[in-house]
This record gives sequence, structure tokens and C-alpha cells, in this order.
Amino acid sequence: MIENARSLNITASIILLIGMVYISGPLYLTLTTASHSYEFMLRNGLAWYPGDQLLANMARVFTETRIPIQMLNSLLVALGNAAATCILSFLSAYAIVYFRVRWAGFAFALILATIMLPLEIRVITTYQVASNIFSPLNALLDVTGLNGLVAQVFGAPVHLEWSVLNTHFGLIAPLVAHGTGTFLFRQFFRTLPTDLFKAARMDGAGPIRFMFDILLPLSRTSFAALFVLTFLSGWTQYLWPLVGASTPDMQTAVVGLARLVPDAEGTVPDFPMIMAGAVIVSLVPLLMIALLQRYLVQGLVLSEK
Amino acid sequence: MNAIDTAIRAAAASITVKGLTKAYDPQTVVIPPMDVELKAGEFTVVLGPSGCGKSTLLQMIAGLERVSGGKILIGAREVQDLEPKHRGCAMVFQNYALYPHMSVFENMAYSLKVAGMAKAERAERVAAVAKMLGLADYLHRKPGQLSGGQRQRVAIGRAIVREPGVLLFDEPLSNLDAQLRHDMRIELADLHRRIGATTVFVTHDQVEAMTLADRILILNKGRIEQFDTPKAIYHHPASVFVAKFIGAPPMNILPVTGDGSALRLADGQVVANAPLTGAYQLGIRPEDIVVDGKADGHAVKAALRFREDLGSHSVLAVDLGGSIVRIATPFGADIADRLELLLNFPTSRLHLFDAATGRAIPGAFGAQ
Repeated sequence: MIENARSLNITASIILLIGMVYISGPLYLTLTTASHSYEFMLRNGLAWYPGDQLLANMARVFTETRIPIQMLNSLLVALGNAAATCILSFLSAYAIVYFRVRWAGFAFALILATIMLPLEIRVITTYQVASNIFSPLNALLDVTGLNGLVAQVFGAPVHLEWSVLNTHFGLIAPLVAHGTGTFLFRQFFRTLPTDLFKAARMDGAGPIRFMFDILLPLSRTSFAALFVLTFLSGWTQYLWPLVGASTPDMQTAVVGLARLVPDAEGTVPDFPMIMAGAVIVSLVPLLMIALLQRYLVQGLVLSEK
Repeated sequence: MNAIDTAIRAAAASITVKGLTKAYDPQTVVIPPMDVELKAGEFTVVLGPSGCGKSTLLQMIAGLERVSGGKILIGAREVQDLEPKHRGCAMVFQNYALYPHMSVFENMAYSLKVAGMAKAERAERVAAVAKMLGLADYLHRKPGQLSGGQRQRVAIGRAIVREPGVLLFDEPLSNLDAQLRHDMRIELADLHRRIGATTVFVTHDQVEAMTLADRILILNKGRIEQFDTPKAIYHHPASVFVAKFIGAPPMNILPVTGDGSALRLADGQVVANAPLTGAYQLGIRPEDIVVDGKADGHAVKAALRFREDLGSHSVLAVDLGGSIVRIATPFGADIADRLELLLNFPTSRLHLFDAATGRAIPGAFGAQ
């Protein structure tokens, strides 16, 4: 619908403007704060105009904090999350759409359930499992009474332990368990002609060849879109890296930023430096979006051109 | 004739189906045991309404669908348990199923590449097929940049480039518009004459069946109703189902009763002399009914309901003893608009079917 009424135009523009200010205001404040010295902030409070200390503050982030190494952690977590999610989602969607798997509908429902049960809800159980990957197995042995039997025969019950807390794997793995990607690929595969699979079989290509030669090249845009989305979500994760990593050298940049605020009462945090850090940490996802924006939109509308 | 034509002609193999069945579970039997033999180099059209099992039959021959029982032989080889690639079949799909990200060349060469053929030989083979199908100028295009007819040709090219013993078509023309469908039909007939591959062509379009087939296999609920040449199927339908399925408009079927000397319509009018008793179904093609003629004396009165003028001929729908009968008037016949018509059913053009089973009773009116 296109309306030409002048008053409507003006109203719409004003609403848009308010929205823009609402969104970009904090960003502006971040930038201005980051460009003043700590002393300036102590004297004047909130900085409403840019100063000249931005580069100096950024340099301090690199020399005085662990943000650089934490950014490496973030990069590892985000890339690992994106790559693992893409591969896992692609494979599971391939199995669900192209093979007559028993209980395929049920499996797909379980995968979808992960969308409704995000990590934030099950963070405590996830922590329990991460602290000992074998704890579900141990519990199972206890419940079924098998362990009692083992204890009688060998003198001690089975108790396996393997903690992945404070490792990169432990940071990545719980993030990967998410069904959005499977759903995305499934929807995309559904838009492809079903005879493609049969045609490939007639041409002599088995399931593996079909996947590499035909399905994979066709899914390029979906891959790119899912990669960007999961990379961004991995980069900006806060809760799980906060509990999953305990030493500063293992924490991610977003958690590290929050930790820059001193715990002690009474001291004023070094906001210029923190804001400079925030700017640096935001640059990576910003760059990512700028480079892959085309795929992000294409992949989400699920149209292959 | 070039190398690829000869190669395909040489590869053409017969298909023998013995007791072939398909059932998804005991209640849903798609194809009850079927026996049929398709000769090498023959163009067979499998015709039937949707859901009659014709696509299932094709996919079982291709190896895309498991058989529930029975055997399929291609040439002398039992193939029912082989993978599609080992059966020597190639298939053209309804929606072409071209690989969208590959060029025309890559689409056609893909099966050769999978089979491990050397690059130079691949290029040569594809070039020969492309030339034969008039695709030589389009080899570097993607399927998305081609018209419907060209895509169809690429799909055919992709199938014949492997020099298959059997060529399978799954309703390949149903996506094209009327004009293109007509052109492609001629192209397909021409192609078959040149390469002589054993061809199985599934369709629900009787025009395609009549024009393309050496023999037509008519399926109804998985059973073979008739398997014969187009001419025989048109002139001697084996059952009411076939009679009604072939022809436009289809054959008229009227319930009649024999009193020992004549066949009477439901309203008592005599249509033909025959020493029969009991209930029958009488069939006559719309173009065989004579209007106002003075044939062998049995004229029946019918009320005209409506007429459709189609230029070359008109189709009259009349009410005869409670059932609607369609009459295709011969070219140029000028029939005045009036409410009552006198019709003659020439005895030599009548078909008699069993009232209960619907099967034809040959020779009911003497030699046919």
C-alpha cells in the first residue's frame, strides 16, 4: 500500500527518526565516552561530544586488559559454533528429508524442541553435564541397579568423570545443540524438486555423491546465511561462556568486557576504556555482517537463484 | 546416422515382467501380479488415469522403487534387485529434474563423470548428443536460462548420452504448453525412429499415447486392461474401461437387453438384431452414429439436448432412453436445429460388453 498523504509521510518520518535516535543514541554515547580520558569523565560525567582519546583508550585495551586473548577465544567459539552447527544441521536435515528413516518425524520434533528450550533455560543441567560428561551414564547405571551389581563383583561402583568446563570444546558444544539450522536446511531442501534425488540415482550417483555434487553446491546461500547467524550468536553469547569458563584466559570477549567493571564498591569504573573495548569487540561482527549481508538476506528468504 | 544412434540401437533391450507386484502393505496393493513383455526397440506407452500404478511400474523398472514380488528382466538379465545404475536404464522426469547449478554440458556429462569416463571421451559423447538434439549452442548455459522445450531436450540428452538399453519417460510433456507439447511429440517420435531405443513412456494423455506408441499398455488399478497397437485399442477395445478412456469424446456406452432376437434400449427401442438374451452394455463411437441415415432399418428416436460446434465437426448430445449419447457429426454435415433426431447404429460399428465384468464380447455381431 502506498499512501501519498503529506501528513502521513511526516508522521512516519518522525516515528522513524525517533526509532533511529533510540537505537543509535547508546552507540553514540559509547563512541563519545570511548574518546575521552578517565579524568575527563570523572570531572564531567557523561560525555555528549567526541574527544581525542579514542586511539589512546584502544591502545590501553590492548596493553592493560585480556580483551585481545579473549577475542581470540570468542573467535574460536564463534567459528567453531558456526562450522559445527552448519555441518550438523545440513547432515541431519539431509537424513530427515531424503531418507525414509523410522521415527523421522519424532526425531525432527525433538530437534525442534531445542528451539523451544534455549540454553538459558537449561543452563544448570548443561553445567552439570559439562562438569562431567559421563554424569548421565553414571545416573543411568545407578538407577538401573547395574552399579550395585558392579560394586558387588569388582568391589567398587563405576563412576566415570570427564569435565569439559573451562575448555573451548566445552564452550562450543552446548551452543551447537540447536535446531534452527536443521529447520532452515529442511525448509530449503523441501523447495528443491524431489526428482533431483531420483535423477542423480539414475545417473549413478549414490547418496554421498548426491550430497557433495548436487545438494552442497545448491545449499551455498543457506550455508552462508546460517554461518553468519550462528557466528553472530556465538560471538555475542554471554550466559554460557560466563558459567562455562572460569579463568580469564578462557573467557570470551563479551564476558571479559563485563568483568572490566571492578567488583569493589565506591570506585568509578574506567568507562572510557571499557567503551573502547566494546567498540573493538563489536568490530568483528560488524565486519561479518558488512561482508556477508547479501547471503544473510538471500538465505533467509530461502530462494535459490 | 552417427555413432551414438547405432550404439543406442545396438543396446536396445527387451523388458520382461513376470508376476511383478507392488504393495505398501497387505491392504494397499498398487500393482497385483503382472506379466508383460516389451520388445526390444519398441515404443510402449503406459496409459491410465492418475493413481493406476503406471508411475510405480516405471519406477520399479528404473530401480527407484522396490518390488514387492516377481521379476523384472532387461534383456536376459534379472534386474529387480540391482541398483538403478546397473540396470542400463535412463529416465526423463516430469519436471526435467535438471541440476540447476550445472551447465547444460555438465548436466549431460554428469552420469558419464560418475561412471568414471575420461574427460575427452565425455566431451565427445556430449557433443554428439547435443548436436543431434540441436543443443550445441547452449552447452554453457544453466538450465534456468533455457526455455521449457530446451530444458526438455537437455533432459532427453542427459538420458540418451549414456546409450541406455531402456529409455524411460515419466509424463515428460505434461509441463509444456499445448503448442510445445505438439512439437515435442513429433520430436520424440522422430528421435525414436532414429535411435530405436526400447522406450517406456508413462502418460495420462491419450493423444500422446495414440500418436507415439507402437503399443499401448492400458492400466486400471494396477491391472492391465489391454496391451495392443493404438489402432487395435481404438477399434477393438477389450473392455468398457478402455472404450471410455480412449477417444474424444469417448465411446458411448448404453445398457441394453437382449430378447433372443434383438437388442433393446432401456425404453424398448430396438437398436440391432442379435440372438442374445440378458443384460449387456452396448458401445458405439460418437463418429460412427449415422444421423437421419437410412441404414438397416433400425432407426431410434432421440431428443437433442445441446450441440457444440467445433468448426471441423459438431458434437451433439442427445437423450436416448434416459442416457446421454454423444454424436460427432462428419465434416461438413449440416444438421438443422431441431428437437428430435433419427439415429442409425451401423451393426458393424457396434461393440458389445458383458454387463457385469465390462469385458468385450468379440464377434457378437458377426465378424468385426
